[in-house]
Amino acid sequence: MTQAILRLTENTAAVSDAAILRATGISKAFGATQALDLVDFSLQRGSIHALLGGNGAGKSTLIKVFAGVQHADSGQLDLAGRTLDARLVRPANVHQLGMRFVHQQNATFPSLSIIENMALGSGFITGRTGQIDWKRQRARTVSLLEHYGIAANPDDRISDISPAKKKMVEIARALQDIDGAGDAVLVLDEPTASLPTTEVDLLLDALRSYAAAGQAIIYVTHRLEEVFAIADAATVLRNGRHVATLDPRRITPDHLIEHMMGKAVSLARKPEPRPTGQTLLALDRYQVKNLQPVSLHVMEGEVVGIAGLIGSGRTRFLKGLFGGFSAVSGTMHIRGQSITLNGISDAVRAGIAYVPEDRVADALFGKLSIADNSAISGFGRFWNGWRLRKFAELAEMSRLIDEFLIKAAGPDAAITSLSGGNQQKVVLARWMRLKPSLLLLDEPTQGVDVGARAEIYHLIDRAVAAGSAAIVVSSDFEELVSHCDRVVIMRNGALIGEVIGDQVTVENLNMMANA
Amino acid sequence: MSIPDPKSGQSRATIFIHRPDISRLVEKYAFVGLLIAAAIFFSFFTPTAETFPSQANIRTLITGNIVVAIVALAALIPLVCEEFDLSVGAIAGLSSIFVADYLSGGGSIGVACVIGIGLGLVIGGLNAFLITVVGVNSVITTLGTSIIIAGIISQKTGGRAISGGIPRELIQFGTGTVYGLPTLAIALILAGMATWYLLEHTPFGRQLYAYGSNRSAAVLVGIRTKFVLSTSFVLAGMLAGAAGILQVARAGGADPRVGDSFTLPALAAAFLSAAVLQPGRYNVAGTIVAIYFLATLNSGLNLAGAPPYINYYVNGAALIVGVALAVAFSRRK
Repeated sequence: MTQAILRLTENTAAVSDAAILRATGISKAFGATQALDLVDFSLQRGSIHALLGGNGAGKSTLIKVFAGVQHADSGQLDLAGRTLDARLVRPANVHQLGMRFVHQQNATFPSLSIIENMALGSGFITGRTGQIDWKRQRARTVSLLEHYGIAANPDDRISDISPAKKKMVEIARALQDIDGAGDAVLVLDEPTASLPTTEVDLLLDALRSYAAAGQAIIYVTHRLEEVFAIADAATVLRNGRHVATLDPRRITPDHLIEHMMGKAVSLARKPEPRPTGQTLLALDRYQVKNLQPVSLHVMEGEVVGIAGLIGSGRTRFLKGLFGGFSAVSGTMHIRGQSITLNGISDAVRAGIAYVPEDRVADALFGKLSIADNSAISGFGRFWNGWRLRKFAELAEMSRLIDEFLIKAAGPDAAITSLSGGNQQKVVLARWMRLKPSLLLLDEPTQGVDVGARAEIYHLIDRAVAAGSAAIVVSSDFEELVSHCDRVVIMRNGALIGEVIGDQVTVENLNMMANA
Repeated sequence: MSIPDPKSGQSRATIFIHRPDISRLVEKYAFVGLLIAAAIFFSFFTPTAETFPSQANIRTLITGNIVVAIVALAALIPLVCEEFDLSVGAIAGLSSIFVADYLSGGGSIGVACVIGIGLGLVIGGLNAFLITVVGVNSVITTLGTSIIIAGIISQKTGGRAISGGIPRELIQFGTGTVYGLPTLAIALILAGMATWYLLEHTPFGRQLYAYGSNRSAAVLVGIRTKFVLSTSFVLAGMLAGAAGILQVARAGGADPRVGDSFTLPALAAAFLSAAVLQPGRYNVAGTIVAIYFLATLNSGLNLAGAPPYINYYVNGAALIVGVALAVAFSRRK
């Protein structure tokens, strides 16, 4: 491996081109969707190049093509002086040529030491009898820590070091078998997504110094302020097309957002203003543990969106309103009645419903039928005091299947026989049949096709029109714009603002969530 | 499977109709078929053709496995939550020892029942506390309590069986018949119906199945999961304790080793139930079919002159096959 890299270094030295990676004419279609359409991308040695775009812009597909996990339909990659056919690239090829990835999810082993974490990335150094040569292993870790400016003891457990250092250890681990900084491409996918603000600065400083030493970095992010803080170039994708490659030092955030969203955004359908009733939910300096106090009023008949980035606290806040986390201070009233949540069953009793973000992990009972999945929220009138009236239950479930537009063979069918969108409608039916006062919906249309998406919002609208209210969290700001009466912005665990009426535009939401 | 149009009026009628295709039928009734096949085989297989189908043997086969069937029902309740209770056999053994000891000292049957079920409640409660409050894994917890119980039994009996002094009424109950049906069989039918009612006809039972299917989702629909899980272990303990009383009634005493002999077949049957009658779902009828399938196999092999260690092979293999089938069915769903 080392030899291969060395040989490549000689090759590339001969090429008088500062670009370590150049992608030309990359296209990729999934069925009828053109995920990438003749995209060009070029990365210079020693530079940080941000890759930007909204959901479905094609960022992750492009990264997968770079990784060799996804084969392009056409195009060419020039990587470290070699020309590769993007239709045929394999992960081993690009790895050998110095392409390294650090993914958004933490991939360290918390209970193991830094030495062990490093070794698990590249194989342990072993002695003659196969035993681990701890002395050399340690020496190598010490030099890696030094080289990547990580102030930590090699024996420290990963769980004991700060989040930014964890990320730096992951970067060092990914790059440890690369000889010179100029020989590799480092791809960072949302590296700051789970970091608190103070830690972000530490990581950005480190990345700047790596780049100064010659490291080429592709930086995928949603946080525009980071683009302006560290990127030397920013490539914007939209709907699978290369929109522009910009120099962040010469443009304004507004300008960048305009490129990301295009002009079409403002055309997103505004909902008809809905008649609203009395105050349904009143939060007064209500503080969910580990978040800031929040004051918020939601009226009957209202759909309120929460815009925020991953890690802004939006999911935690929503789950906190459902009793999933304890409240530190403040008060909650529903229809004027004071509510104290000591657990989720209190929230259910108070007429609150919650649709979690991760349907498979947190909402579905995979072994059970559609009927069991929807009845579980409360047996109410099916329970006649001594037994469940199964026939009444099945009849009601058949009715729900019709009412909630669920495409299923019948109430007895396995929940896993349904498509994602229909599963989500079962989850909605589970709660809506109880006529809840307040619907808390976390990414209600994630992994759901366009048709089902519209139906899900139709169901939400119907419940709200009947006098309840909904709070919707979504990463898809267009969705918030087209379905919410107003949108509050969450950042760093606090509600930092609100946009109403005509001001609810994707541009505004992006500006405020990223600001 | 065709999808009825939700808008058309026809759909309502088709919804309740199950179209059982052959493979589903085979899945459901395979073990029932195996039970019947095993019984027929041993009735005609020359070495056992005389002994196996005899009235005496059939009666021993049925009554001799009633207590272990009830212990299997006890194991079934936490198993629905996908939690393992390895202590049900030990609890039944402990209950039988203390009940027999108390009765042989001239105690009343009523108090003896309270002792038997009460012991089960206490051990079940301890299991529940350790699993839900302290957070110890259920396998470890119940393995630990069953070993401690083995110690208590050994200390109490010195390894000697307790016999004599058991009230005649109790023994009559344990060995007698009503309209030709063994009284104990009625006890099993009642225990089976009670468990079936609990699991299939109460919200609590549904919550157990929901918990077993997805713990995180169970929390997020407002199920008080710790309460549900605790109750399942307490009920398992009480049912196992009751089984211990029946064991005294049947055997007219208590053998310190009897609890151990229950553990493996009871757990094997509870696991196998997910492959019987309701594939992918641990269930009462399946548990009882599985117990009698294993019992028929073991009885037939013993009568055919197979050495006693063969029973270990059968029970151990059944345990693994049961889990493997349960995994296979739930994966395919």
